Amino acid sequence: MEPSNKILDKFDFVVFAAITLLTAIGMAAVYSATYTHPTAYGNFNKQLISGIIAFILFFVAYLIPYKTYRFIAAPVYVISLLSLLAVIFIGKTVYGSKSWVSFGPIGFQPSEFAKIGLILFLAYYLTRKRKNPNNFYDLFIISVITLIPVALILMQPDMGTAIVYVIISLIMVFWSGVDLFLFFLLISPVVVVFASLFGLATFLICMILVIALLVYFKKNVFVNASIIVLNISAAYLMDYGINFLKPHQQKRIETFINPLADPLGAGYNIMQTKVAIGSGGIWGKGFLHGNQTQLRFIPEQWTDFIFCVIGEEFGFVGSILTIALFIVLFFKLVNIATHTKNIFGSTVVVGILALMFTHFAINIGMNIGVAPVIGLPLPFLSFGGSSLIVNMILIGIALNFYKNRREQI
Amino acid sequence: MSEKIFGSRLRKNIFMIVIAFVGMTFTFQLIKMQILEHTTYTTQSDNNSIKKKPLQAPRGIFFDRNLDVLVSNKPTYNLQITPAVYDTIHSSTIEAIINEERGTINKIFEKNKIYSKYLPRIIKRDLNYNNVVWFEEHSENLKGVEIIVEMQRDYSYGVKGSHIFGYLREINSVQLEKEKNLYDLGDFIGISGIERSYENLLRGSKGYEFILVDSRRKTIGRYLEGNNDIQPVKGKDLVLTIDKKAQQIAEAEFEGLSGSLVAIEPSTGEILAYVSAPEYDLESFAAFTSREQINKLSSDPKKPLFDRAANSIYPPGSTYKMLGAIIGLEENLIDINSTVYCRGGFQFGNRFFKCHGNHGSISVIPAIEKSCNTFFYKLILDIGLDRWARYLKMFGFGEKTGFDLGAETKGIVPNTEYYDRAFGKNKWTKGTLISLGIGQGEFSVTTLQLAQYAALLANSGRTKTPHVLQGYIEGIKNIDYNIEYKDKIANISQRTFDIVREGMFKVVNGYGTARHIKLPNINIAGKTGTSQNPHGEDHALFIAFAPYENPKIAVAVIVENVGFGGTHAAPIAQKVIKAYLENIEGNNFTISSAK
Repeated sequence: MEPSNKILDKFDFVVFAAITLLTAIGMAAVYSATYTHPTAYGNFNKQLISGIIAFILFFVAYLIPYKTYRFIAAPVYVISLLSLLAVIFIGKTVYGSKSWVSFGPIGFQPSEFAKIGLILFLAYYLTRKRKNPNNFYDLFIISVITLIPVALILMQPDMGTAIVYVIISLIMVFWSGVDLFLFFLLISPVVVVFASLFGLATFLICMILVIALLVYFKKNVFVNASIIVLNISAAYLMDYGINFLKPHQQKRIETFINPLADPLGAGYNIMQTKVAIGSGGIWGKGFLHGNQTQLRFIPEQWTDFIFCVIGEEFGFVGSILTIALFIVLFFKLVNIATHTKNIFGSTVVVGILALMFTHFAINIGMNIGVAPVIGLPLPFLSFGGSSLIVNMILIGIALNFYKNRREQI
Repeated sequence: MSEKIFGSRLRKNIFMIVIAFVGMTFTFQLIKMQILEHTTYTTQSDNNSIKKKPLQAPRGIFFDRNLDVLVSNKPTYNLQITPAVYDTIHSSTIEAIINEERGTINKIFEKNKIYSKYLPRIIKRDLNYNNVVWFEEHSENLKGVEIIVEMQRDYSYGVKGSHIFGYLREINSVQLEKEKNLYDLGDFIGISGIERSYENLLRGSKGYEFILVDSRRKTIGRYLEGNNDIQPVKGKDLVLTIDKKAQQIAEAEFEGLSGSLVAIEPSTGEILAYVSAPEYDLESFAAFTSREQINKLSSDPKKPLFDRAANSIYPPGSTYKMLGAIIGLEENLIDINSTVYCRGGFQFGNRFFKCHGNHGSISVIPAIEKSCNTFFYKLILDIGLDRWARYLKMFGFGEKTGFDLGAETKGIVPNTEYYDRAFGKNKWTKGTLISLGIGQGEFSVTTLQLAQYAALLANSGRTKTPHVLQGYIEGIKNIDYNIEYKDKIANISQRTFDIVREGMFKVVNGYGTARHIKLPNINIAGKTGTSQNPHGEDHALFIAFAPYENPKIAVAVIVENVGFGGTHAAPIAQKVIKAYLENIEGNNFTISSAK
């Protein structure tokens, strides 16, 4: 392919348009959820300022030489760990967890920024010469790289973000060429356990899927049998494992499976959220006219439940548009990752994709009642400066690699 | 595996599939929620955020036949608590303030715990002013506690009327379940009397205010600026047939007595006065009716809650005698001149049936006037049981009158079948009949039936079903709706009526048993009766109508356990007649010299 000087070749306007539109929808939703609220009033202005900073940093991330990222990967990771450590000592407690560090009037969440460090450093480690993710020593090192920040985040405690870190790491390892059977071995028990929460039917479907994949991998009978036993026992041990969770976490799992069991307690949010979205209908109740939203039936709606505002006030049309923008963004990121010759860049882009897709899937999933309630913001839409800025920077980095996709390291 | 490590097509495709799968799952779920189940969620959302606040419709009030108020409404302050937002820590304080037992609030909550916690419960009605002030002062700290203004019945118009008006009570859960669309928890419903019979006219229709509330049930504003609110419609005001003055006099006359009185406008069947004594105080039912209050009334040995006028049965005694005469005359067993010789009684077989005097040779008119038993002992033997029973039915005995206050008793009119059942076939003789001839024995009637009988006598066999509702006034449009009532006809010749009525005239105006109630310028016709009571003193009875020439009122009075009818029942009837006739517009019965 001939290098082109056309701007379209250097800058992916589709991605840019998608994130700009998503941010705009987010701004409208945050405005709607907070403008009459006694304490959250003013959040819209904060979000607007964060948005401006985020766009500036997006362009900074887009414009700096792409090779810089490889050089700064290790230092950024170390700084990330230090900032996570700092949170534990000087962090501010908000809603029962310490995840904030303040500098004067400006506060930020290191766990958001540390995602950049993790993605860069993992990509760096996975793409060094003679590194092989199928090598158990290397896998061990990758686990350590992942689990240090995970441990620090669990101390805050922030279960949701910790899960995201693990998933990012798994997907990057997957992309970097880990043996698919090995990967399958790691993932299948988790999936089976999760499915078993929903009863026998889902569990059996998953087991059939596992067996189908075993047929595909053509391993010997002994290996196949042990994997099936492993999966079944994992599901069986789940009941036992649940006892190690804190009561409120157990409750969340129960509530996810059956929200009606506790309509005024843990199930309250799920029910109100579904009611908000369902009552939006095709066209929605109109901007600022959602009664669930305006009458504050969903606590802290501007953060993790921002999608309800869209569902209620803009209806099916608004919800589908939002989802479509995300899907376009994700397909674009997959393409960028595939077409970037720079394997470090490609792995970073997959990390970014993994991060955003996980947030997207879990957040919208919990809003519409198909995933458990795990407190994660929806990228570009949820209120929160740290999250918006980090996501913008990450897209800036992804587009930077797109611009330089034909370059090898 | 032969795949390229980075950017492998397989791994790329797995990404694409996972992304597409999640996207499709979300789309399907959104189609399900926002399109297919949209209505369900909308309803839930509206229920969430729109509080339906019922607006009470004022109950229709009662007027008497001259449009004087009998019962109306007055505002009252009620305490209500919404359990969902209320902190029970305040209960003992509130109970002390409203002067209720400890635990009252909890008891009320428990009783209605099947209903939504967001539905307010009435804790106490008719709070006094000091209490209202106290609650207003502390309203800031008492979440879920409200003082609301409601209407309650006002009985301060000088008429007791407890058995006419009836009372209201909070609807119970069984009725509430049946008529959910008409009533809400804590609503009042008519339990007896007119309040019950005409509940559907009186209750009007409730209004509703739709209020937007937030997740803590705090009011945010009106829903759609109140455009969807439903205004309450006041219940219809009832115009009763009751004459306030006659009713008041009747009630006063029964002070301290047990018994009943029913006065009827003969041509229309309109009930002019209706008393069952002792009465109970409706005022005590106006506010929150406690269980104890009801229990106290229902366990009272004098049974004030029992409507004697329609439900107690007594042998009619001599008031029956006109009927005997009518049957005799109609069946040509006697004529106006036929005589019977009375020597103080009647010998039948080896039994002697007493009379209260030696009347000598006596014909039908003096027999009524003097209440000669002998004449009627003999007559009933000629009439025979089944013929007798047939005529009694014609005059409304042995069956319900169908009057509009509801529960009433049929009374007993024995016939062959009845006696066969009671004594066994062929175990009773003609002798059993003889006491029927003077209105004793198994023959039993209600005061209401006696009044209807008096009306039929007064109006020569034509009246209508007795009733207390004349019509109602709809809203402010002032339209009267007159209600049609069934005719009640006794097919008897005018001549026969003339004869028995002359006898009744003489009871009061001749040398009869009620001559002491004679009025100088109103001709009353009547008949005394004394009904033997195996449990004690006899019951005194009197039936009458007036004026004799053109009857406007027919009355039946029964006073329990006082003795002779002429002495105890007749004066009451006289006073009611006088009160009513003096009060008729355009009349000239200005009487002042009644005894």
